[in-house]
Amino acid sequence: MRSLDTFSANSLKVLERDFEEFKNKYIYNLTLFKRDERALLGQKFHSLICAYLKNFDTQKMILELNEKENNIWLKLKEKLEDKKNNFIETEYSFLVKCALNNRADKPYYLTGRFDAIYKDIEGYVIYDWKTLNLPSNPYEDLQSVVYLYCASIIFNDTNIKMRYFSIEKLDFIDVEFKSQTFYKQRTDKVIEKLHLLNNLN
Amino acid sequence: MIINSNSHKKRENFLLNEYLKLLNKGIKAQDILVLCQNSKKKKDFIELIKKNMDFGNIGSIKVYSFFGLCYNTIIENWAAIENSIKDDKGKIIPNLCGLEVSQYIFKQCIKEVDFSGYNSKTSLLHQLLRRYSLINLNNLSKDEIEKRAKILSESYSREVNLAINKYKSKSINLRAFDYIRQINLFEYIYKNIKTKFKYVFIDDADEITPAILAYLKAIKPDIKEFYIAYDNMGSSRLGYLGAISVDFEEFLNEKAINLNKDDEKTKNALLIQKSVKNNEQIDLDNIKTKSYLKRHEMIGALSDEIKLLIDKGIRQDEIALITPISDEFLKSMLLNSPKNSALHFNFLAKNEKLNQNKLIGYILELLKIINDKNNQDVSNYVLKGIFIELLNFNHKDAIQIIQEYKLARDFKGANIFDFIKEKNEDNFKKLIELYEKIRFEKLSSQLYELVSSFTKNKSENDTIKINQLLKQIYDFEEVFLNQVSNEELIIQLENTIISENPLSDDEIEQNSIVVSSAQKIIDYSYSVKYMFLLDVTNENWLRQDIGPLYNAWVMQKSWQKESFELSDNIELTKDRNARTLYKLYLLADNITLYSSVYDSLGLENISGIDKYFKHKIDAKKNTTKAITPRPDQKEVLNYKGGLMSVSATAGSGKTTIMLLVVDKLLSGEILDNIESKNIFVLTFMESAARNFRERIKAKYPDLEVLPNISTIHGLALRIIKENNNHSKVGLDYDFDIVDDIKKPLILNEVLTSFSIPGDKSDLYESAISAYKNELSNFGDFDCSNKLFLKVYESYQNKLKEQNLIDYDDLLLLALKLLKENKDVLEYYQNLAKIIIEDEAQDSSFTQQNLIKLLGGKYKNIIRCGDINQAITSTFTNSDVRGFREFIKNSKNVEMDRCQRCATGVLDCANNTVKFAKSKNINAFSSLVMKPVDGVNIVDKKAVYKEIFEDEEEEKRFILSKIQEILKHDNSATFAILTRSNFAINKWDEILKNNSIKTFKNSESLINNPMYRVTLLILEFIVNPYDLKLTNKIALELFELGKYDYNAVKYAQNLDRAIFLKDDYEEQFFWDMNYFLLKTNFSIYDLVWDISSYYFSKSADSVNIPLICAIAQKISNTQKTFENTVKKLREIQYKNNFSNIKFFQNDDNTKKASTVQIMTLHKSKGDEFDYVFIPEMTQENLCFNINEYKLKENSKFIQKVKKEPKSEFELKEEIIEENFRLIYVGITRAKKKLYLTSANRYKYFSKVKDYKPCGLLEGLDEIEAKEVYCEV
Repeated sequence: MRSLDTFSANSLKVLERDFEEFKNKYIYNLTLFKRDERALLGQKFHSLICAYLKNFDTQKMILELNEKENNIWLKLKEKLEDKKNNFIETEYSFLVKCALNNRADKPYYLTGRFDAIYKDIEGYVIYDWKTLNLPSNPYEDLQSVVYLYCASIIFNDTNIKMRYFSIEKLDFIDVEFKSQTFYKQRTDKVIEKLHLLNNLN
Repeated sequence: MIINSNSHKKRENFLLNEYLKLLNKGIKAQDILVLCQNSKKKKDFIELIKKNMDFGNIGSIKVYSFFGLCYNTIIENWAAIENSIKDDKGKIIPNLCGLEVSQYIFKQCIKEVDFSGYNSKTSLLHQLLRRYSLINLNNLSKDEIEKRAKILSESYSREVNLAINKYKSKSINLRAFDYIRQINLFEYIYKNIKTKFKYVFIDDADEITPAILAYLKAIKPDIKEFYIAYDNMGSSRLGYLGAISVDFEEFLNEKAINLNKDDEKTKNALLIQKSVKNNEQIDLDNIKTKSYLKRHEMIGALSDEIKLLIDKGIRQDEIALITPISDEFLKSMLLNSPKNSALHFNFLAKNEKLNQNKLIGYILELLKIINDKNNQDVSNYVLKGIFIELLNFNHKDAIQIIQEYKLARDFKGANIFDFIKEKNEDNFKKLIELYEKIRFEKLSSQLYELVSSFTKNKSENDTIKINQLLKQIYDFEEVFLNQVSNEELIIQLENTIISENPLSDDEIEQNSIVVSSAQKIIDYSYSVKYMFLLDVTNENWLRQDIGPLYNAWVMQKSWQKESFELSDNIELTKDRNARTLYKLYLLADNITLYSSVYDSLGLENISGIDKYFKHKIDAKKNTTKAITPRPDQKEVLNYKGGLMSVSATAGSGKTTIMLLVVDKLLSGEILDNIESKNIFVLTFMESAARNFRERIKAKYPDLEVLPNISTIHGLALRIIKENNNHSKVGLDYDFDIVDDIKKPLILNEVLTSFSIPGDKSDLYESAISAYKNELSNFGDFDCSNKLFLKVYESYQNKLKEQNLIDYDDLLLLALKLLKENKDVLEYYQNLAKIIIEDEAQDSSFTQQNLIKLLGGKYKNIIRCGDINQAITSTFTNSDVRGFREFIKNSKNVEMDRCQRCATGVLDCANNTVKFAKSKNINAFSSLVMKPVDGVNIVDKKAVYKEIFEDEEEEKRFILSKIQEILKHDNSATFAILTRSNFAINKWDEILKNNSIKTFKNSESLINNPMYRVTLLILEFIVNPYDLKLTNKIALELFELGKYDYNAVKYAQNLDRAIFLKDDYEEQFFWDMNYFLLKTNFSIYDLVWDISSYYFSKSADSVNIPLICAIAQKISNTQKTFENTVKKLREIQYKNNFSNIKFFQNDDNTKKASTVQIMTLHKSKGDEFDYVFIPEMTQENLCFNINEYKLKENSKFIQKVKKEPKSEFELKEEIIEENFRLIYVGITRAKKKLYLTSANRYKYFSKVKDYKPCGLLEGLDEIEAKEVYCEV
C-alpha cells in the first residue's frame, strides 16, 4: 500500500466517512475524473472573482456569461466592490507540517487553497466561494477545522474566521476560530484511523 | 549563485540547503521559484522540502517544471491575455488542453493549405507538429525561421508557415492551447506583468531551452538572487531536444562553485566524453561488451545475467536496462521468461497509445456501437471481447450468443441492441438500461457511465488510462462544444498519433528493474549498480530528429552555420552521444553493452553506439576447421587489392572461398587499416546474406559489427536510413516498403481508374519495375507508351500518399542520394574499402552502378559469379553483360573445379554447354567444369535420360526410383525440380499419395510449422464451430509432436464444437478453450500467446516476433480481426511479408528421406543426392529459337524501354536463359540425375501430345560422338 502523509480537507472528510472510499480514491487512485456543469460554473466564478480581486479588467471575460450568470456577477461585484482593497491574497495554497499526537516521528501535512484572504482591523477572514449549498454544520465541517487551524498557524494569529459565501444568494455563514488544540485533535483523530488501519494491514 | 556538479544528488542537496536558509531567514515560500526539469524531479524536491522543514507553516511553495510554470502563470493571469485578444467574445477559463486537440485543429489547417506534391497526410501532420514544437521550444522568431528554411532549402516552408499560422489563429479563436502553445502565452505574460518572484532556483540548468532562457533574462532585473545548479560538462538534451548551451557565469557575472571531486568516476566519465568526440574507443574495466547473433539470444543471455545478480543478492532496483527499442518483443520476452518469473520490470518511456490498452480498446468499440447510426457489422472477435471483458460473460455463452446474433443479423438485419433486448440475461438488461439512458448523451458522459457501470475491478493503471481518455474527451467537448459528433470524436481518438503526454510522468515502482530509454533515465537521474545498454548496434541509438519539414539541429536557437551537411549530422550525433554516454556512466557503477546482429524482425542492425567501445575480438574462439584451398581457389586468396573477377562454376566452393577472403581481410592480411565496417559483401538473396553473416559470426563470436553483408536492397535501405539521409530524398523517417498485399491493391486501383483490366496487374508491375531500371540507366527519357506513363505516375503518387516506396524505388533513391549529394557519396566511398559481390551474373545495371560508385575511391572490388548460372534476366532487371564486361576489364580468376557432382553429371553439364554452342546459342562462358581428384563420385552413368509414352509411366518411374533408393539409403536427399510453380503442387500430391514425405518451396511462410499452427488456431478463433478445422489442428499438432494420437482421436470424435463440451480430462480440450477465452485487443499479443504456447522451446522461437509483426502489420491495414486472419491465409505461399522473412531452421529444410519439390529457379545454390527433372517438354524448356513463340507480355515490357529489343533478340535471350536454367538444375545433383519427359500429358483436364525438349536428344548425340571419338 502506498504511504500517504499529505491531506486536504476533502481527503480527510472521505477518510472520516468511509475508509474503503478513501483507499480507492487516494491510495489506489481508482476514482474517475468527472467534470460536471455545476462544478464548471463554480470554477468560472472562482476565476472571475480572482481576476477581479487582482484588479484585472474582467469586461472581456464576462462576455462568456449568459444573462442569468451576468446578473449574479453584477450583484456579486457590487457586494465586493467596497471591500476589494482588503483582500490580501487570492487562491492562496498552503502547506502545514504537523506532528501526529505531537510525535515528531509521525509527521503529516495539511494542504489546501484559500479562495481569498480578507484582512481588516478585526482580523482575518478566509473566504470560501460556494456555488453549491452552504455547509449545514459548518463548525463541525472538516474544511473549517483544517482551514482555521492552518490559517492560525500561517498568520500566527487567532483572530480569524472562515466565511462560506454563496455566490448566487450573496449569503454567507461565518465560523469563528475556536482553538488550535481543538482543531488539531480533530485532524489527529481522523488521521489516526489511517495509521491504525495501516498497522492492521 | 552557480553550482557546478555532475551529481544530481549533490546539486539537489545544495539547492535544498540554500532554499531552507532563505525560508529560515523569513523569506516567504511564495517568493521563491524553483524550476525543475520535469514533474518527477519537482515532486522529489517538494518531498525534500517537506521532510526537512520544521513543524508549522511551510508556506505556499512554488516548485514547478517549466511547463507547469507556464500553465499556472496562464491560469493566474488569464484575464490579461483575454483582454489582449482582439475579438468580440470572451472566455473566463482558457482551454489548456492536450496535443490531441491540436492534432485535430492542425488536420483542419492542412485541408485549407495546398501542399501540392506532399501527399502523405499522416506524415505531414506529424512533421507539422514537430516543427511547431521546435519553433516554440527554441523561441524562434519569424526571421530565424526564414533563415533556417534557406539553410535547409525547404520546399514547403511557405505552406508550413501558413499552416502553423492558421493553427495559431484557430487556437486563439477557440481559446485552446496545448502545452507548446502555452509557451507563447507565458511569454506574453512575463513581458507585460512584473514577476512576483524574488528568488529563482534552477536545477539541471544545462538542460534548459531557449524559451526558459528568454524568461530568465526577462525577469533578471527583478530577481534578488539566482541559484543555478548545472553540470558544465554535459547536457543530454542540447540541440536535439531544444536545450541550449548557456554561459551562466557570464549571465550572472560570477564564478561557479565547483562541487566536482577529482575522483575516478568523474575522470572516467570525462574520458568517455573525450574518447567519443575524438573517435577513440572506450576501454574501461567496469564496461563490458557482449554480442549475439539474434535478438532473442541477446535477451535470453541478459535474463541469465540478471538472475545471477539477483542470486548474488543484488536488489532489483539496483539494475536498469536501457534501450531505444522498448518494443513488444522485449516486453514479452522479459515478462514471459520463466527465469524472470520472480522479477518485476518497470517499463518507463511507455509510448503505448491509449487505444492500444485492452480495456480502453473494448470500451471504445462499445461506444462505437452505441453511437453507430448505420447498424454496421461488428467483428465477432470484438463482440466476444466486449462480452467477456466488459459484460463479464464466460466465453461459452459469449460465443453462442454472438453466433445467434450473426444469424439474426443475416436473416433480418437485426441491430445488436434490438437483439440483446430479447435475451433474458442480467448483464444485457443492465446494458440496455444504460444504452437507453446514455445513447443521446455527450461522449464523456457515455464513457463515464459505461465505466462506472461495467468495469468494477479495474486496476490503477486502467483508471489512469480511462481518466486520460476522459480528459481528452472533455478537452474536445469544451473546445468544440457540439461541433464534433461522437462518431467523429471516436474516430479521432482511435487514430491519434499522439503517444505520450509530455506533462505526464512515470512513477518508478519500488523494487523493480527499470527498463527505459537513455534520455528518460538521465532525465530522472536514476542511479543503479548495474546498467545494461541493450541493442547497442541498432541505429535507433543514433537516430536524429530530422524530417522533410523540420530539422531539430538547425532549428536550434544557437545554430550559426549557413548550411547543414552530412558531416554536421555525424559530428552532432557524436557530440550528443558523448554527452549521453557521459551522463549514463555517471549513473551506473557497472555497464554492460549487449548487442545482436539481427533486430527482432530479423533485419540486420546497421550500427549504433557500439563503435565507441573497444571490444576484444578473440580469434582463438574460432572453432571452425581450417580449410586447405585447392589450387584454383588459392589464386583468389592471393588477392591484394584492385579489381578482380572470380568465375566460379557450380559446386566449386565459392561461398567458402569468399568467407576465407573476408577472414583474411578481417585479420589484416590483404589490406592495411581495414575494419569490419569497411568490408561490403553483396549477395543476391537475403537468405544467402543471412547464411554469410551467420558463418562470419560463428567464426568471430565477439565481433559486434559484422561487415556490411546484405542484398543490394539491404544496402540501399541502409544508405537511405543512415544519418537521416531519408530527409534528403523527401522521405519521412518512418517510410515503409510497400508489401506484397498492398502493392497489387494499389496497382489494381490505378488500373481500374484507367479502365485497364485487373488481370494486367502482374504485367504492369513488371513494366513499372523495368521502366524504373531504365530511369536509373538513362535518366528521364521520353517513353513512347503514354498510357503506361499515366499509370506509372498515378501509381507513384499513390505510394507517396501512404509514405511508401517499392523495392525499385529503394535502389533508385539510393543511387540518387549518392549522385546528388557529394558528402553522402564521400561518406560511403571512405567506408567501402572493399566490395565483394556474390552472384555477380545476376546483378542489375542499377546494382552495378551502385557498386561502381561506392568502390570509386579505393577501387577494391571482387565480383564473383558464374555466367552459366544467370537465370533471372527474363523476369528481373539483371544484366549478365555487365559481368561479362567486368571479367574482361579485371584480373579474372577461374574456379573451374566442381567437387559436388558425380563425374557423369559433370559431363552432362559440360555437354549441355557444347550442345548450346553447336546451336550457336551464346548462353555460356567457355569455362569447363572439372572434377576434383578423389572427391567427386566417379560414376560415368550418373545421369539417366528417358522419354516415356505418357505421364503415368514417368510418374511410376520416378516413384519407383525414389522408393528403391529409400530402401537402402534412408539418409539420402532428393529433389524434384520443376519448370513452374504449378507443377510443384502436382508432384507433391503424387508423392504424398504414395506415402513419400515431401517438402515444398522451402521458404514460403506456410512451410513454417509455427505459421501453420498459429494460423489454424486464429481461424479456429474465428470459426469455433468448425469441427473439420478443429480436427486439422489436432492432426497438425500431433504431427509436430505436441500431442499424442489420442488428441487426434478425440478431435475426430467430436460431435459438437469443442467449447460446448465438458471434457476436462483432455489436454487438447483445455488448450483450445484457452485460446477461445483469449480477448487480447492487440493481435500482436494474441499471436504471441498462441505461437509461444507451442513453440517457445523450439528452434522456431526466434520466429515468434516475426509472425507477431506480420500479423500486426496486416492488422493495421484491415478493418476487422476476421479479415486479418483471412489475409494471413492469403499470403501463406509468400516467402516473406513486407521485408519480414522467417529464419530457416535446418530441421525445416534439409530433411533426409524427404523429397523437396521446387522450381529450377529456386534450386540455385542448393544440392541434393538425387535430382529428378521431369516434364522436359519443348513447351516447358524450349532450346530452339525458331520454335519459340514470344508472349505478348514480353513485347509489352519492351515498349517502356528506351532501347527496346527486337523480337529476335528477346527470343535469343529466353533460349539462352533456358539453357542456363537446365544447367543449374543439372549441377544440383551429387549422386544421380534423372532427366525425363513423356509424349503425352494431361493439363487442365485435356490430354495432349507434347514434344520432348531438344536437349535430351542433343545430349545423346554429343555423348555418342564422344564415345565414337574415344573409340
